[in-house]
Amino acid sequence: MSILRFGHDAWGERIVNGISWDLLPVAFWAGVAVIVGHLIWRAVRGRRNGG
Amino acid sequence: MASHDNDTVLRHAGFDRAFHWINAVVVLLLMVTGLLPVLGVNFAWVKIHWISGVLLTALIVLHIVRALFWQSVRTIALGGSGGGSLPGKYTMPQKLMHLGWMLTILVVIITGWFLMKKAGVPFFERDPYALSLRTWGVMTLLHDLASLAAVFLLLVHVYFGLLPEKREYLRAMLTGRASRAVLAQDHDLEKVERGE
Repeated sequence: MSILRFGHDAWGERIVNGISWDLLPVAFWAGVAVIVGHLIWRAVRGRRNGG
Repeated sequence: MASHDNDTVLRHAGFDRAFHWINAVVVLLLMVTGLLPVLGVNFAWVKIHWISGVLLTALIVLHIVRALFWQSVRTIALGGSGGGSLPGKYTMPQKLMHLGWMLTILVVIITGWFLMKKAGVPFFERDPYALSLRTWGVMTLLHDLASLAAVFLLLVHVYFGLLPEKREYLRAMLTGRASRAVLAQDHDLEKVERGE
C-alpha cells in the first residue's frame, strides 16, 4: 500500500501528485473502528452500571 | 405553551439549523462527486463539484460572520470552560468534532479555490502554470487529505448523532428545541444562558 501518488516533471524529477487512494479504505475503516470501539465501551459501561 | 417553553430550551435557531443541513447536503455532494470517480464510477463530476465548492465557501463565510458578530464564539472554544464540572452549550467531544470539521473544510476550501484556477471555471481563467508542478502537487495532496478526513468525520459524526442517548441533540438540530431536563444532565444551563 502506498501513501502518496507520484508523477514526474519535465526534467524527469519525481514530484508528489496527491494522496494515494489506497488510503480511502483506511479512512473508512478508521471511522468504523471508532464506532465499534465506542459500541464496545458503551456495552461494557452499561453492564458495569447494571443496565 | 408557557409550560412547554419551561420544559425545553432553544438550542439552535432556524438559521443555524438551515446552515447545518444545507452544509451537510453540500458536503455530501462534494464527497460523492469527488470520491466516486476514485472508486471507478465515472460521470461528469467536475461541474457539480466546483459549483458545490463555491456554495460551500459562501455557506462557511456566512457561518463565520454569524459566529463572530451574532453568536458567542466562547460556546465552541476549546479552552475557558468557566470553571465547574459541566460544560456550557457544547461538550468537549462536540467541540472537537467542530474543530475537526472546521480544519477539514478550511483546508478543502482554500486548496479547492487554487485547484479551480488549475482546472478553469467560468469566473477563473484556467492557468495551470500559476503555480509550479510541485506546489500543485502539494495543493492536491492537502485537498485529498481533507477529503479522507471528511470520510472519517462523517462516519463518526453520523454515528454519534444517531445514538439513542444523544437523541436530544438530533432533536434540537431538527426542531431547534431540546428538553431542559435532559440537557441539564450534561450541560450547565446557567453557562448556556451566559453564552458559554
